[in-house]
Amino acid sequence: MLTVSCLSVRAQQFKFLIPDEAIVQYAGSIGFFSAGAGYDVFGNKRGNLSFHYGYVPENKGGELHVTTVKLSYKPWEVHLKEWGKLYPFNPGFFASYTFHKDLGFRFPKGQYPGDYYYWSEAIRPHLSFNTELDVKPPKVLENTAVRRLGFYIEANTNDFYLINYLQNMKTLRLDDIFMLGIGVKVKF
Amino acid sequence: MKTFTLFFICIILSSCNHFEFSPNQTFDSISLKDINATNLKRLGSGVNDDTVKFVLTGDSQRSRDETVKLCRTVNAIDGIDLVVLAGDITEFGALKEMLWISRTLQDLTMPYVAVIGNHDETGRGKESFRNMFGELNYSFVYGGIKFICHDTNSREYDFNGQVPNMPWMKEQLKPSQDVTGFVAVSHVPVNSLDFDSKLREDYMASFAQTPGFLASLHAHTHNHEVLYPDKSGIPYIVTSSIGNREFLVIQIVNNKLSFERVPF
Repeated sequence: MLTVSCLSVRAQQFKFLIPDEAIVQYAGSIGFFSAGAGYDVFGNKRGNLSFHYGYVPENKGGELHVTTVKLSYKPWEVHLKEWGKLYPFNPGFFASYTFHKDLGFRFPKGQYPGDYYYWSEAIRPHLSFNTELDVKPPKVLENTAVRRLGFYIEANTNDFYLINYLQNMKTLRLDDIFMLGIGVKVKF
Repeated sequence: MKTFTLFFICIILSSCNHFEFSPNQTFDSISLKDINATNLKRLGSGVNDDTVKFVLTGDSQRSRDETVKLCRTVNAIDGIDLVVLAGDITEFGALKEMLWISRTLQDLTMPYVAVIGNHDETGRGKESFRNMFGELNYSFVYGGIKFICHDTNSREYDFNGQVPNMPWMKEQLKPSQDVTGFVAVSHVPVNSLDFDSKLREDYMASFAQTPGFLASLHAHTHNHEVLYPDKSGIPYIVTSSIGNREFLVIQIVNNKLSFERVPF
């Protein structure tokens, strides 16, 4: 009895693990397609934390498996009538880890002197901003768990591109280094 | 809503090239292919050209602004047959970096070829280089001069004794009817700690034993120098980097090689 109540307390405690949304994204530097789970975070629920797995098939740029953690914030909300809201500019940060035999977490110590290369091949830090349109689901989804739908477009850059940009501001433009992705969020 | 949807669609349509799957992808729908082969076709064999004049440059990494200036300077020099970029096109071996530099180099009025550098071999760079430029070891003959372009980035292979590829090199150095002189082009110079010390003697001896071998050309150190590491009298010529705004104009007439430093 005690164990059962313990477990139910535990279950309560771990309820926060149940994601608030499921995400599918095309491109956006974390896979040809990627799937993820997201959480509304911070007291005002304007923060978003999500975890993604992405895949690039061989014929789309060489086979890659990518895992990503994203954190973003929605500072502004625009009400567009009862059916929708627009989050016009949501800055964020994400880190991706790409699994491939050519990409090491760090460069092997025996092979290179200490400060030979200064970056990690597998980990990429990215800066991002996205625009999201949040809408009421269509009638067919009325009696399901689907609460809202979110459609977003996200631009991101990474440390590699940013370094190149900052040192070549005459010939590289911001739109050379920001790459796009689009996605759908199904919010429960 | 309508305006928003239209705006949204417009953004997406106008930026199709910007949908990136990964910074580690080795080709995409707009990346160039086989640049070296295409440019060599354009160069031709130069059978009637008795003055072979070319630019040796390297290390365009993180230097697109300077690469634009380099193109302008090179285009203004008379009689340049080709430009040889001796490695470190990129800093991080990223496809996008290769694209940015190669798009700039398209402004050259003469053909160019690229040789792989150690930075280009980090990440998925080797594969991206193969896709965009071609083989890591290749050769061509222009005006009777055989250019042997090859990978000397031994450290990237953990000094496995196979880079530079000596059996391939010896095959390339064999005499042939249409060849009067040889130049070797690679990124890492033979005296560098990044060059496989086990292969150093054999590498230099192979050049020394080849009649008509004129010079070994390099980049990597970002500083111009001319080395005579053995008694053969063969110069090992290193160009400064694009970032340091200097390249070399090399001229071969009657199988005699001379060069000039050009700041820009």
